[in-house]
Amino acid sequence: MLYYLIVCRSLTYAQRTAAALERAGITARVLRSPKSISGEGCSHSVKISQRNLPDALRVLQRVGLTPKRVYITAGDGSYQEVAL
Amino acid sequence: MIYLDSAATTMQKPAAVAASTAWAVNHLASPGRGGHRPAMAAAEKAFACREAAARLFHVNDPERVVFTFNATHGLNIAIKTLARPGSRVVVSGYEHNAVTRPLHALEASVRVARGPVFDQEAALEAFRRELDRGADLAVCNHVSNVFGFIQPIEEIAALCRERETPLIVDASQSAGCVPLDFESLGAAFIAMPGHKGLYGPQGTGLLLCGTDPAPLLEGGTGSESRRQAMPDFLPDRLEAGTHNVAGIAGLTEGLRFVERRGVERIAAQEARLIRRMGKGLRAMPGVEVFQSREGEVQAGVLSFRIKGRDCEELGEELGRRGIALRAGLHCAPLAHETVGTLETGTLRASVSAFNTEGEIDKFLQTLRKLGHS
Repeated sequence: MLYYLIVCRSLTYAQRTAAALERAGITARVLRSPKSISGEGCSHSVKISQRNLPDALRVLQRVGLTPKRVYITAGDGSYQEVAL
Repeated sequence: MIYLDSAATTMQKPAAVAASTAWAVNHLASPGRGGHRPAMAAAEKAFACREAAARLFHVNDPERVVFTFNATHGLNIAIKTLARPGSRVVVSGYEHNAVTRPLHALEASVRVARGPVFDQEAALEAFRRELDRGADLAVCNHVSNVFGFIQPIEEIAALCRERETPLIVDASQSAGCVPLDFESLGAAFIAMPGHKGLYGPQGTGLLLCGTDPAPLLEGGTGSESRRQAMPDFLPDRLEAGTHNVAGIAGLTEGLRFVERRGVERIAAQEARLIRRMGKGLRAMPGVEVFQSREGEVQAGVLSFRIKGRDCEELGEELGRRGIALRAGLHCAPLAHETVGTLETGTLRASVSAFNTEGEIDKFLQTLRKLGHS
């Protein structure tokens, strides 16, 4: 299943992001970012399903929680950055 | 035992505090240090604690709620962020050594905005006068840990905002006991312990950050691990090393208790107990009671001294009779100097949401039996 990862600057920021999405009815889960996309090393991401990205971005813009970077899973298990 | 030393630490806590602390020891790991269930559960607990504190103190952004080990830890971060050797710092006449010692160590140029106890107008005027002489920083405790004097923190904060002087608030005796609004104060920092009016375990504290802080400790944060500089975002910037997760779990329950009970209700109960205690003490010959006449500018802390009696000896004697209160200078010689009790010290009784009128009466009765009737 395809899904998006919203990479966050900190665990707490990821938790705020997930909480805002959940409040808006969008299922979101905090997890450690895969090494290949973690940037400076050790970060957390929020996982959402593919169909929820547009709604999620609208919610996050409304509450002022701008995503740092967003990735989508590729079929081969790698991640591709999504231009926002 | 009748416990009247809640200004040092509240000992009677909501049952959920001990239960949650004990549960955390065996079930929660370290937030941000793994993707496994115990680590993520610890992260959820820490976030729940930040959110509860943010609600209670009106902090818009829970990332600005930083875990510390106690109020002293938070005050050291705040002071060492904003003060430098020679900085002109205005403090109230009621500061604790947790404020004055870091300022002394930094060799800051400290001026005391001194006013009589329980006189809010005088406190405000003293701050206005000293701030107008020029200041790089102001530090003020919200409630005196010796006398329970509630300082006019909203008005002092307004003076600081008008002059663009950063303000650090020591909320050690007010957090959970007196209403406190982070966003409306606009303070640079508010530091508080978790183990007093927030009913958490010892070894917990919170620092509410209104400005960018400098780290007091450097180390692992579970974020941006390839960089050698500390992260530039909160709370990671100030939270190097493993968190006191068990303490945080307990503190979460303490915060929830205060939220459920209501700060105004707790404040009213504590004020009622202190009025009753003061009335009883004043009726005893030779007892000097430091009490606000109107009552509304005193929190749940009351100091007194008895003519001809050493406060420490009397404190010991009361302790042997099952009354726990504190004697001496209470780590706040400046407050005693302001009020004129530096040479004798005082006996300090302080209450919590768990004290009753019956306990106050029993304490007074015990004191009378010791010959003070």
